[in-house]
Amino acid sequence: MIVASKKEKLGYYLFILPALIVFSVFIFWPMIHSFILSLFKYNLMTINKPEFVGITNFITLIKSPVFPAAMLNTIVYTLVTVPLSMMLGLGFALIMNNNLRFRNFYMVCFYIPYVSSMVAVSIVFSLLFNASTSGIMNRILVMLGMKPVGWLSDSKLALPVIMLLSLWKDLGYTIIIYLGGLLAIPREIYEAASLDPISSWKKLTRITIPLLKPTTLFLLITKTIASFQVFTPVQVLTDGGPGYATTTLVTLLYQKGFKEYKMGLASAAAVLLFIILLILSIIQNGLEKER
Amino acid sequence: MLSPLLWMLATALTPNTYIAPVSFIPKDVTFENFVEAWNFPRVFDPKVTMGTFFLNTLFVTVSVTLIGIVVDSMAGYAIARKQFAGRMLFTYAALATLMVPIYVVLVPQYLIVRRLNWLNSYKALIIPFLASGMGIHLFRSHFLSIPMELEECAKLDGASDFRIYMTIIMPISKPVIGTMAILKSMWAWNIYVWPLVVITDLRLKVIQQGLTLFQGLNITQWGYLCAGMTIAIFPLIIVFLFMQRQFIGGLVAGAIKG
Repeated sequence: MIVASKKEKLGYYLFILPALIVFSVFIFWPMIHSFILSLFKYNLMTINKPEFVGITNFITLIKSPVFPAAMLNTIVYTLVTVPLSMMLGLGFALIMNNNLRFRNFYMVCFYIPYVSSMVAVSIVFSLLFNASTSGIMNRILVMLGMKPVGWLSDSKLALPVIMLLSLWKDLGYTIIIYLGGLLAIPREIYEAASLDPISSWKKLTRITIPLLKPTTLFLLITKTIASFQVFTPVQVLTDGGPGYATTTLVTLLYQKGFKEYKMGLASAAAVLLFIILLILSIIQNGLEKER
Repeated sequence: MLSPLLWMLATALTPNTYIAPVSFIPKDVTFENFVEAWNFPRVFDPKVTMGTFFLNTLFVTVSVTLIGIVVDSMAGYAIARKQFAGRMLFTYAALATLMVPIYVVLVPQYLIVRRLNWLNSYKALIIPFLASGMGIHLFRSHFLSIPMELEECAKLDGASDFRIYMTIIMPISKPVIGTMAILKSMWAWNIYVWPLVVITDLRLKVIQQGLTLFQGLNITQWGYLCAGMTIAIFPLIIVFLFMQRQFIGGLVAGAIKG
């Protein structure tokens, strides 16, 4: 082992310095600042000095009618898209794990939406689900002898359209991660199992799914955390409307901060979001320890 | 699965009609829509086309990717190979940044950029993203797997730490560099909310923001709209088709090690 000189030791810090500066200025300090700001009234449009108001921002936020709507929409979005996406992803991954013909071609088909820009595909969906009678989905409905519907302007249908878009766009990612998990299962296990007469359903439920547990947990957690932060498709497709029908937690944060310029209220929303995500991460840790 | 995108392509190739076609095969093929869509931003500013947004995005993506890889690998190198006070603290701090969701720090980040007078500048789009916890972590675990003897020999020959990093460590780390390049560039290309907040000058907008300009169009102009979206989506799809293996490999690596 070569002993490092003092000058060399100083040099080590130069290696981490750029990253340390970026992290401190743009992540660590903002994280602390977010908590501080949430206790201040700070409207960029009217006052330029933050004014300490204690937990008033949190009370205002929770009492406003948009908050329960945003909370509910975010939870519904998560509870629907996460399990559905994982079930579909696992199903397609199982099908593709067999020596399927044109497997690579299917793979590319599933994967292309995932690499496409979210803004662009959202705008394409807004054309497909256009409320006018010339919208594609409405024309298809009419062809099938049904009445055209408002889709994104209908408060019952707007959120499901956004969920459909997310499911469609992210399916390729779920499939790839599950395929990676399937490849990691040793062949010998199936070979050993094939010595006993065992149905393929049992093979799936007794061998494959339990062995995929790490992959499933990883997807469950990352997808839940990502779903709680859904923003872009909402912003592009409906901007949270009609009414509050598609407002999510992050849409609410964005509207308070960058439309109304109420930085204190927006920070209170950010702190609540952070606490929710922290709780989800703690649950994740618990689940991983159990395994 | 691809039907929405195929419909988009077909409509983009169809001469503009007031009623959108319900078909995947255009009857008469025209490229006029693409020309119109490319020049559409001129409505707002005669000097701006889709090309402007492309160049802005390209500049930001390349800067974030190249400089970011240097910053991450240097930090990863130091914490993987060197002993110094605060090493573990920095390692954990870098990992902790992965737990900070971007939306939680959006407001304070905006206030900092505003105070630095970086609003409406490339700096605002590049500098905050030059270091990533994921990158540092991936580089660190890769560097840990390189035998120590390799650099001790160079050390005996009198090479400096920086030289060892540049001439010995980085050249044998090409696979990780490739993975990081893909993860970072894909991320930078699709970034949306941050530019939405810090860039209001049309000439500095990135492609994702540029697309939202099309929303102002009359909804019946199906052809232009679809051509605009096609222009934005296809470059990345083509890159993906050529680099499919690396793309998927990068994604799985990010999932397993991240």
